[in-house]
Amino acid sequence: MKVAVIQFPGSNCDQDAVWALQLVGLKAELVWHTATRLEGFQAAILPGGFSYGDYLRAGALAKFSPVMQEVRRMAEHGNPVVGICNGFQVLTEAGLLPGALLANTNLHFTCKEVFLRVERTNLPFTAGYKPGQVLKIPIAHGEGRYYADSETLERLEQNGQVVFRYAPDPNPHPPVGEGFNPNGSLNHIAGIANEAGNVLGMMPHPERAVEGILGSTDGLPFFTSLKQALEVVA
Amino acid sequence: MKYHATLLIELKDGILDPQGRAVESVLKSLQYQAENVRVGRVLEMELEAANESEARATAHSIGKALANPVMEVFVVEAIKELA
Repeated sequence: MKVAVIQFPGSNCDQDAVWALQLVGLKAELVWHTATRLEGFQAAILPGGFSYGDYLRAGALAKFSPVMQEVRRMAEHGNPVVGICNGFQVLTEAGLLPGALLANTNLHFTCKEVFLRVERTNLPFTAGYKPGQVLKIPIAHGEGRYYADSETLERLEQNGQVVFRYAPDPNPHPPVGEGFNPNGSLNHIAGIANEAGNVLGMMPHPERAVEGILGSTDGLPFFTSLKQALEVVA
Repeated sequence: MKYHATLLIELKDGILDPQGRAVESVLKSLQYQAENVRVGRVLEMELEAANESEARATAHSIGKALANPVMEVFVVEAIKELA
């Protein structure tokens, strides 16, 4: 059971992703973006960072990296493929997930803990959560405003492809209004899956919430779920 | 022949452009009555082609590869023959 963590020039959450995978007992290996084969890997993670310096648009140049053909092949084959933050941007740019990530409404690069509601738990990444569970997971991005045209958005909602949604702090004194949405994402979308449910993109960083010392362990079930899903397939 | 091509990539109409809004508010503070300011990108390049229409077709195909049709539109703004 081996997970490929793809390294683009400018990726910077690759080691964190490897760490989180290994923490739950998965084998993880860094794979440079020029790789043309992903043989022996059962899943792939596109980590956060600033691939190609975010030049042109976040994720716009990474989609042309040679390894993306293999990532596409894995996605079409039904293997789990995860894009976190910049990885989500790459997956939308590559057309493996619908929609796009635009500049945050307030134009700030926002780095803070946010709350997410788990909308779907029958996926290889979320089986370890309870439906409706609210997680505390950090975000760190400047371009995280999820956008899709209204038909796409409707289709996502109808198919249950919205996996994570920004939500208010569940603790006493929740904020009023929609201030809990950190970037202006439509329908408060923080993460979506493809129709088949094996490709997932999310702006928040579950790999940064896997140990108490990091402030939250709410990201841990994300990785344990993936491990269990891979074990079932194997 | 060598041609100079100019490609313009813009956000689609109706998509919120916070950069444009920020620029607009600065323009207003400078007393300019500018509205609906949008920020796009200009790409310039030199292309080798047999003639102008081939250069234009290449520029168009580059625009297609680089613009994201989910939120952007592009136009080949100009093709100029280089001496």
